[in-house]
Amino acid sequence: MRIDTIRAAGDRPAHFRHDDLIAVKGVSVVYARQLVLQNIDLSVPKGSFVSLIGPSGCGKSTLLKVLAGLVEPTSGSVSIAGLSPVEAARKRMIGVVFQDANLLPWKNAVDNASMLLGIADKSLSRAELRARGQEMLELVGLGDSAHKRPNELSGGMRQRVAIARALALDPAVLLMDEPFGALDAITRDSMGQSLLEIWQRTGKTIVLVTHSIDEAIHLSRHVHALGIKPGRITGSIDIGLPYPRDLAVTEDPEFVRLVVQLRTMLRASHQPGDAS
Amino acid sequence: MSEQPISSVSEPRLTSSFAAATSSWLPSVILLLVTIVAWEAAVRIFAISTFIIPAPSQIAQSLVAQWGTLMQATLVTAAEILLGFVVSVVVGVAIALVIVRFDWLGRALYPLVVLFQNVPKVALAPIFILWFGYGLAPKIGLILVIAFFPVTLSMLAGLQSVDRSLLSLMNSVGASRTQILFKIRVPHSLPNLMAGTKIAATLSVIGAIVGEFAGASDGLGYVIQFASTQLDTPLVFAALLLVSVLGIAFYYAAEILERIVVPWAPKFSHA
Repeated sequence: MRIDTIRAAGDRPAHFRHDDLIAVKGVSVVYARQLVLQNIDLSVPKGSFVSLIGPSGCGKSTLLKVLAGLVEPTSGSVSIAGLSPVEAARKRMIGVVFQDANLLPWKNAVDNASMLLGIADKSLSRAELRARGQEMLELVGLGDSAHKRPNELSGGMRQRVAIARALALDPAVLLMDEPFGALDAITRDSMGQSLLEIWQRTGKTIVLVTHSIDEAIHLSRHVHALGIKPGRITGSIDIGLPYPRDLAVTEDPEFVRLVVQLRTMLRASHQPGDAS
Repeated sequence: MSEQPISSVSEPRLTSSFAAATSSWLPSVILLLVTIVAWEAAVRIFAISTFIIPAPSQIAQSLVAQWGTLMQATLVTAAEILLGFVVSVVVGVAIALVIVRFDWLGRALYPLVVLFQNVPKVALAPIFILWFGYGLAPKIGLILVIAFFPVTLSMLAGLQSVDRSLLSLMNSVGASRTQILFKIRVPHSLPNLMAGTKIAATLSVIGAIVGEFAGASDGLGYVIQFASTQLDTPLVFAALLLVSVLGIAFYYAAEILERIVVPWAPKFSHA
């Protein structure tokens, strides 16, 4: 069990500590002559759970794609354990989960879970891949559904397989882009809770993009709020609530205070006069 | 866990959809029988000449009398259809793969394929006879030019409609273009391909008959032409009936193939 170190709320790291797994320095992204991200500084400590939150069009998904090596920043630098994102991805250090599970409908859950690993490491036998896939399905609570095809699984179960597929790579960091965005509220809550358990069991570093204030505070240790036009980090909050957290934490006065603080922060960056 | 598997829900629906299918067929069967009876009656009451419209009973008589000849012709035509269909699918798939895998070749090939599609291919039949004679080859060639296009087009649609974020995932682990093609794009395109295959099956029947019309010494198309010059209209109708049966048989064969190849396709998972 890691115990959270409580820092002053709103305190943005001015320098990068050596235990940071991810260090983003002065990253800007220009796409179609639009400034999508402006001068992003972000550090993600190893083993932490960090959320990026902001309104639609704030570039939070683009920032995640920059971390995954899928979008090249126009300027600035990104380091993942000293490597560029593309190098880190090639070394299977990055697992990605999108809003759509994107499972292959012709493969069952266990083969879907090991699919990316099979591409990344051609030396593994079919049996080894199966074993790894099964292990990951058990980790996400789907050990019994290994032979079901995606059309036999619910939306939440499909997303669990997508998480298992990312974890099968044994990545250092799990990048998640609104992974629960398409799920109903009840499934969402149970998925969030499962994700916390997986995080604590595996010790992975998780970066989560979300538009849910409750989800960000419930799950993460650090929350970074992004503003719109251009996309930039407008504030950061450390969530001091102790782990393990369950849904009861959402009734904690500290939780409520953090919700208000984060909402105020997001609203401030959303003011029409604030656009620069 | 709050999530429920969907499979248990869809099972009872399977039996009810079978019952629904039976009850949806029944009116068609009744209408068909009524039409045949009305046809027979009309020909007898108005004493319509057999050369113009034969009664169903006369067609049946002709079918029985000429059974040996007709079966021989059916086999010839069926072989043409089957061979032409297989060649069309193979060539259609190959063209689609080449267009997707090799950018520059695809850019060169695709407009030409579309242009060629506008050539009235039935009009090519006499040329094919000129080139390949009266045997099997001109029929296969004609079926190919008629039937490959829906295969290529539907497969291309499937190959190119892979979700971008899935491609991102593949790229993030360093998948090669060939790996993405064969592990993702090709299986993903199979439901589309099977839809194109069903169209190709129907077009193959048309191609075979047109090829036989243009010049042949055997086959159902030849029987239809020969019988019409002899004013043996019941035989023309008997051969037409067999052509239709062949068409239906090939269509359903393609449908069964679809269920075997892509049992996971969305079409079959919630029906």
